[in-house]
Amino acid sequence: MHELSLAQGLLDQLAGLAVEHGASRIVTVHVDIGTDAGIVVDSFSFGFDAIKGSDKLTANAVLAINRTAGPDLILTRVEME
Amino acid sequence: MCDTCGCHINEHTDTKTVEVHESLLAANREQARKNRAHIEAMGAVAVNMISSPGSGKTTLLEHTLDRLAGKMKIGVIEGDIETERDADRIRKKGVPVVQLTTGGACHLDAPLVHKGLHALEHQSKDGKFDLIFIENVGNLVCPATFDLGEHERIILVSVPEGSDKPAKYPTTFHGADTFVITKIDLLKYFDFSLDEARTEALQLNSGLRILQVGAPAGLGMDDWITYLQELPAR
Repeated sequence: MHELSLAQGLLDQLAGLAVEHGASRIVTVHVDIGTDAGIVVDSFSFGFDAIKGSDKLTANAVLAINRTAGPDLILTRVEME
Repeated sequence: MCDTCGCHINEHTDTKTVEVHESLLAANREQARKNRAHIEAMGAVAVNMISSPGSGKTTLLEHTLDRLAGKMKIGVIEGDIETERDADRIRKKGVPVVQLTTGGACHLDAPLVHKGLHALEHQSKDGKFDLIFIENVGNLVCPATFDLGEHERIILVSVPEGSDKPAKYPTTFHGADTFVITKIDLLKYFDFSLDEARTEALQLNSGLRILQVGAPAGLGMDDWITYLQELPAR
């Protein structure tokens, strides 16, 4: 539930990481989505793609989703340049 | 894109991979942890009551307060999208109560409950409580994803809603400590199987405590009250 606000939270986190690592472009975002996280994967993916274009930092970012067990949504690693 | 050959293969570029391993649900989780510590500093144990709208959360609270208000220091945090109606009902029982209105959000979250805890403290002389009830927004889905800092999570399903609800809402039941079946005085009017509700709930969560009440008629209330009185010690 609340996939869009979670996607926005993810974008905010990516912006912070980009500044920290001096990156100008996010290439790939890897997340683990647990079955008990209460998150509909398609909605999350759709939400991310819908709003990533608001910043050229993330405009072409690819979201790579790994479905796992458990209750969490974890940003595992980010490829950036 | 690679400057040398125009391809998109990673090795050709300055792409670096940063390991993060952070939960995106972390912000709420962190505030929930702080809420839990805050509640403990108030001397209390907090209970998060989750159910569909109209399952009987407020009514159960009213009848609970009738029996417990003199024996334990109780505070209530009410959560709704709009109105103060539930807090008004609780206020008549003479216990400190705060109404949180989300204005649109379908669940309470830890930051909102944090504000509620501070408001509740101001209503009591010493800021100390034994038991804090948090009545969530009526919704069997969304509240399950948000830790508020509670010690005990209670899911209520009323007889008119049907005994298939545990099976239909697995995430909600996975995360629960206690399942209360309400409005049991209506069993004779509905096709509700206590056996189905119990069995399917336990299949999802074998450690679930299951109680049943018909609050206005006093059914099952002794067991419910005993359970609440034992919470601070656990």
